Amino acid sequence: MGMFQPHSLLWHYLWVAPNLLLAVLGAVLWRRGLHKRLRVFLIYAWFEAVQWAVLYSIDLVASIPAVDFWRVYWSSVLLESMILFFLISEIFADVFGSYAALARSGRVLIRWGGALLLIMATVVAAYAPIDNRVWLVSASHILQEAMYVVVSGLILMLFAAAAYFRLTWKHATFGIALGLGISACIHLATWAVMANSQLSNSGRALLDLLNMATFHVAVLIWFYYLLVPQKVATKIAVSLPENNLAVWNRELERLLQQ
Amino acid sequence: MTLAIVLVIAAALSLVVILWAAVSRSLQVSKHAGLASQIQPLDVEAFRNLADPAEDDYLRRRLPASEFRRVRRARLRALAAYVQMVGRNAAVLVRIGQDALASSDPATAEAAAQLVNQALLLRHHAALALVRIYGAMAWPNSNLPAAPLLDGYRQLSVAAMLLGRLQNPAAPVRISVW
Repeated sequence: MGMFQPHSLLWHYLWVAPNLLLAVLGAVLWRRGLHKRLRVFLIYAWFEAVQWAVLYSIDLVASIPAVDFWRVYWSSVLLESMILFFLISEIFADVFGSYAALARSGRVLIRWGGALLLIMATVVAAYAPIDNRVWLVSASHILQEAMYVVVSGLILMLFAAAAYFRLTWKHATFGIALGLGISACIHLATWAVMANSQLSNSGRALLDLLNMATFHVAVLIWFYYLLVPQKVATKIAVSLPENNLAVWNRELERLLQQ
Repeated sequence: MTLAIVLVIAAALSLVVILWAAVSRSLQVSKHAGLASQIQPLDVEAFRNLADPAEDDYLRRRLPASEFRRVRRARLRALAAYVQMVGRNAAVLVRIGQDALASSDPATAEAAAQLVNQALLLRHHAALALVRIYGAMAWPNSNLPAAPLLDGYRQLSVAAMLLGRLQNPAAPVRISVW
């Protein structure tokens, strides 16, 4: 059996390791008393770990029919999308909430942006074919694709708005958003291919591995940003410049001559 | 399959934007030294003239329609350049204000918070104003109220002066030519 096939050593590692690491990260954050500040992220981390434990067990037990796996999978993705939406809302509130001038804009952005992305996701889902013998398999692929249209779109809006307004991120919030963003973009691409094209089994297995590897990278990013202390950059207060007197004089002359 | 290709391209572009934001965030620290020199003094009188509806009305009355449209578009292009400068100055002041937020002096920290909020609001208004200016270029006869932007810039200038005085009482600070 090749390394890039389902149930290979690599496949087991990539499914088990990131989820276990995420559960450990959740426990460490709890012990450090960060559960109040990162409440939704903690819920997300433990949800992912529980989702993995259930799905991995079902996958290994041969007596459980495949359709049951897809039933559980489909329901868990639905729940995961809701938790992700709450997590992204919390990130938006954290980034924009510190600035009174932008707090309202942040709320408007996530509401209207979210609504627009939801419409886009619905259109994308409506165009995807249901071509699997078991409709739940196709439905799960389409649900994942639609979910990542919304998630990656929201994260993109968040990064673009923060860059445009030159907002300062909190170290932990930035790490969570970065991990989510990278993971969401790769997942969007892979699920779009899986939901809209006739791939061979080996092709699907490769994309599955890519998804799992990306999630592993995201978990490592979260480990770094949530557990490694931020380097304290000595911020030198930049003094505002004296005005250029030559420019003032020139403009004054121009005004007097008018 | 076409949809899949479109989504893969969109995902790749989004990933590039997110990674660019991550890299530029880490590079921001090293760029702080040159921040103040990035502020460009703004000729507010010229700005006010370009945004003045009375000037536009005067030109509309005096010029033939086609000539007026040509002149109005030229004025709008100049106005767009001023608004972009306002937006850029606001962005620089956001960062300068953010650096001063951690000041141990409560008055300086308060002035910095005020500067950051006003600069953010102004950058927001500048973005909206640019959209309206480009819209007005397509329909040169439409009105373009720019008063909020001028008022915002005046308030921002006052906030910047306040912070500048608190940081360095000896140096006069202005970011515009009144």
